[in-house]
Amino acid sequence: MISLTSPVRTRAHGWPAGLKLGLLVAATVLLAAQDALAFHLCALAGTLGLYLLPGGRFFRAGLRALRGLWPVALIVLAWDGLTGDPLGGVVVVLRMVSAVALANLVTMTTRLSDMMEVVHWLGRPLARLGLNLRALEICLALVIRSIPALSEKAGLLRRSWQARAHRAPRWRLIPPLTLLALDDADHVAEALKARGGVAGPKTTKLP
Amino acid sequence: MSHPVPRLRAEALAPCPISGHRKRFDGTATGGRAISTQADIAAAHLRLEQVSCRIGPRAVLEGLELDLRFRALGVVGRNGSGKSTLARLLAGLMAPDAGQLRLCGVDVAADRAAALSTVGILFQNPDHQIIFPTVLEEVAFGLRQQGLRRRDADDAARAVLAAFGKAAWEEAPVSTLSQGQKSLVCLMSIVAMRPRVLILDEPFAGLDIPTKAQLMRYLGRYHGSVIHVSHAPEDLADCETVLWLEQGRIRDVGASGTVLPAYLAEMTRQGEGDDISDLPG
Repeated sequence: MISLTSPVRTRAHGWPAGLKLGLLVAATVLLAAQDALAFHLCALAGTLGLYLLPGGRFFRAGLRALRGLWPVALIVLAWDGLTGDPLGGVVVVLRMVSAVALANLVTMTTRLSDMMEVVHWLGRPLARLGLNLRALEICLALVIRSIPALSEKAGLLRRSWQARAHRAPRWRLIPPLTLLALDDADHVAEALKARGGVAGPKTTKLP
Repeated sequence: MSHPVPRLRAEALAPCPISGHRKRFDGTATGGRAISTQADIAAAHLRLEQVSCRIGPRAVLEGLELDLRFRALGVVGRNGSGKSTLARLLAGLMAPDAGQLRLCGVDVAADRAAALSTVGILFQNPDHQIIFPTVLEEVAFGLRQQGLRRRDADDAARAVLAAFGKAAWEEAPVSTLSQGQKSLVCLMSIVAMRPRVLILDEPFAGLDIPTKAQLMRYLGRYHGSVIHVSHAPEDLADCETVLWLEQGRIRDVGASGTVLPAYLAEMTRQGEGDDISDLPG
């Protein structure tokens, strides 16, 4: 979900990453502060409206990216239904969908390296205390890279299981997936080392 | 891959003649440097002195001794002969357990800063190498690692994309690329760093014949020395020198015209046996 890219170039691609992230923070705070159902219905409609602005292709890609939320929504609705507050559940789900949709919107229209620049800027005071910002940036990029990579590997394992079994693998995929993740991390670490590692440009300063 | 390919601006892709003293990219790749050709590039110098390497209890490479100058070196051998370990040693990704290794005079495992402008490596699986979601970011990453500022790195990466006729790929999401296209992104990312030596660790294995042929042609745009590791002699047709590894030792090294036929004959002979039955240990 977080390694999203946009199928079309939008006007928001040209806006500064810091501005977009700032607006996202403000919107998320606002969503968290409000409890009224009407407000959240309007917020979601507004968010979907933003998705429609760049056209149908962008809108469909955006909706596809939100599909992964339905199990969480189901759990929240079921829980609040059981505890006698179904309306509260609906508000929580609307709030979550709007917040994730807005965050996705920023991700889809912002280059990862631009976001890393913002992290770099925010982390600058910490750099004075000895934090390696380059390592932090690369770590963020690696986390974002790893999520779709791992879900793809989980898919391969599931197919490999299903090819020789008639029941779903469920939890039994966890140990082999863990080992695959470690193996993947080894390979990525090696490829990263081949291009200078996480020590950053300091050690490879040009003359 | 049907883009018209502009004439290569070789100075953008050629490695710097002296390792550790790279010039800055000027971004436009039209700076005052003379256009280098294959003949201008000094042959790479590889020196191994009693190099041994163990992985766990197993000796993977034993007592390798070599002093070689080359522009295109092939490394052949069966699976498990130590080819990939040698590739990793040459790329400086691991240090030998014993002995000394110098590539173009650089101890690539110890001096990582100098190693970055000396050697680049292309792995078999591009997914292990690619970190960033778009092509330009991926190509610019290595340049930032070499100390270029963000804007300079982006400009230099754009120059490399243009030199490969792939300017249109700049904003392309890596996830939408085919496996062959991802391999090309990896190649451009490494070539952008302008290493003197490029190691290919079977990077095109598993790709179909046209894709492989096209990638080999793009590889021709890199104007440094190449070490090509493969079990398949047909991959190494362009190598003038071939090193044949067998069970972690050098079985033969010499002109490809003599080593490759001997290797092929021996592989055919071994193929008639049944050593697949042998368990390790």
